[in-house]
Amino acid sequence: MIKRIPLAWLNLTHDRRRFATSLAGVGFAVLLMFMFNGFMNALYDSQLQLLNRFNGEIIIVNRLRTNMFVPRAFARRRLYQARAFDGVQDAYAMYISEVNWKNPETRKSRGVRVIAINPDEPVLNIPEIETYQQLLKLPETALMDTKSRVEVGPVEPGIISELADRRIRLVGTFTMGTDFASGNGNLLMSDQNFLRYFADRGPEEDKRSFATVDIGVVKLEPGTNVERMVNVLRENLPNDVLVMARDGDNGFVIRERNYWQENTNIGFVFSLLTSMGFFVGIILVYQILYTDVADHWAEYATLKAMGYKNGYLLGVVMQEAMIISVLGFIPGVLVSQLLYTAAGNATGLFFQMTPERIVNLLIATFIMCLVSGAIAVRKVQTTDPADVF
Amino acid sequence: MVKTQPQSTFDPPRDDLAVHIQHLNYFFGAGDLSKQVLFDISLDLPRGQIVILTGPSGSGKTTLLTLAGALRRLQDGSLRVLGKELVGLGDRALVNVRRNIGFIFQAHNLFESLTASQNVEMAVELTGNFSSKRDQAVAMLSALGLADRVDYKPQSLSGGQKQRVAIARALVNHPQLILADEPTAALDKKSGRDVVTYLHNLSRQEGCTVLMVTHDNRILDVADRIINLVDGRLESDSTPNAFVHSKTQEAIAEVSADMFIM
Repeated sequence: MIKRIPLAWLNLTHDRRRFATSLAGVGFAVLLMFMFNGFMNALYDSQLQLLNRFNGEIIIVNRLRTNMFVPRAFARRRLYQARAFDGVQDAYAMYISEVNWKNPETRKSRGVRVIAINPDEPVLNIPEIETYQQLLKLPETALMDTKSRVEVGPVEPGIISELADRRIRLVGTFTMGTDFASGNGNLLMSDQNFLRYFADRGPEEDKRSFATVDIGVVKLEPGTNVERMVNVLRENLPNDVLVMARDGDNGFVIRERNYWQENTNIGFVFSLLTSMGFFVGIILVYQILYTDVADHWAEYATLKAMGYKNGYLLGVVMQEAMIISVLGFIPGVLVSQLLYTAAGNATGLFFQMTPERIVNLLIATFIMCLVSGAIAVRKVQTTDPADVF
Repeated sequence: MVKTQPQSTFDPPRDDLAVHIQHLNYFFGAGDLSKQVLFDISLDLPRGQIVILTGPSGSGKTTLLTLAGALRRLQDGSLRVLGKELVGLGDRALVNVRRNIGFIFQAHNLFESLTASQNVEMAVELTGNFSSKRDQAVAMLSALGLADRVDYKPQSLSGGQKQRVAIARALVNHPQLILADEPTAALDKKSGRDVVTYLHNLSRQEGCTVLMVTHDNRILDVADRIINLVDGRLESDSTPNAFVHSKTQEAIAEVSADMFIM
């Protein structure tokens, strides 16, 4: 059995303290990449938190609503028309508006997003709606998102404050998270209450009624082909509305994500920061490997004098690069996981660590260490055994 | 560049010589900056001899040792090691020649991360004997009196023990030629003597040739020959007794920078 002495492993682990420092260094570079990548994905993913909770396969919006920010409503009769087609189980209305919420402690007003639905209809996959169904039907009640930013003040049932300069009472909470369009938080209420607050807010504000709807959620009969149904609705409904599948490559969720990718600098900024983490990692790993080669310079030169070829020594350095990349990645992921949770709690953004993202960054870490190794081996190649004498 | 003997004649290869050097010139650097350090060296080392190479600093003895060890490319003259002509060989071919040579350095150059046995096994692995490497390493360490230190790391060994591990590493593959650079410089008198005695016995038993650079006049007596190199030229080639005698005479005659004052 061929069993070589694992020189790379033994050299790395001989000095425990230095080995730990090396792993911490690589772990830190991994952490930087995870955090910047995480913020980028969180900013994108957060935009989709509300969209992913729509309880329907097809979404109908005003053709002018290119993203969730645009306050364009469409006629509610389109939903009734949609209900007439075979395969459509139901079509739900959702009303959205931005308005000021007064922080009950500081008395400062902050913008929040109000989402209104009929509590009797399963428009959103938010279990708390059913829990507080009867309370939501009472006048001037609402549920507040627990992930709202701290600026909205305490979030708990029983809080009485002001919404659009009118009294409101929180009867419960739900959990969703903020996005760019939500301002400081999300408030969920019944459509009846929505009318109470928004039907007539004054001469300068839009008058809202049940005649117009912000988002229509179409629930299909089980087993209905979504794509076919989208086409049927597109052909038959007037073209003041846009009919889209919720999921899929041409779906409503992807369109929203693409909007933010194409219209903001988020991607550029955070990709730049991620690649900076990558280069910091290259320098760190190079430093580790270079120090190892420099410290064992005479020993490596002796190996060459004994008859070891350059290839063997290159192998040792590359193995060291691989070992620290894999072993440094593990603490990097674990600490990142903790920081994701902490950052999610602090910002209300939606941080998620999917297997795909972990694998991508593992590959990046691997490449990082191989590049450093490739630079560091030049030091080994120039080691001249004649200089040891 | 002026060559000392442009019309050199070269003898045919001889099997009884471990090292056969003829009209060897060596230059450091290239072009206008080149500096000649060895001048027309011709030297025969028969198999089984212990030869001490001595001379003042900068005389080129270490350079000669590294040339014989196939650690440098050669341009001029003829240098045969164990029947193989080194002049004109490329780096890759030189590496293969080195595998038949045992090197002992002034510093032990052991990997701190490996045990004594593992350090020696690194040499055995070059031969491909993976199954017996541990046995070979332990046998060699035992022969050097380190049977109870086999699994110690260098930091828990004394200076003499470390040097003996380094020697075990150099000898474990039973090389036909051993090149040693100041092997006793870092050792106390007794350890130094033990090392030299071991080399002496090995040379007698296995017939291997030892070429040793040293300034240590306590060990001159083990040598069969002492070669004195001054300013890149062979100055004398004599037996130890004659060498000591001549040096003693010189020391009285001139007060130069002579390191062999006894």
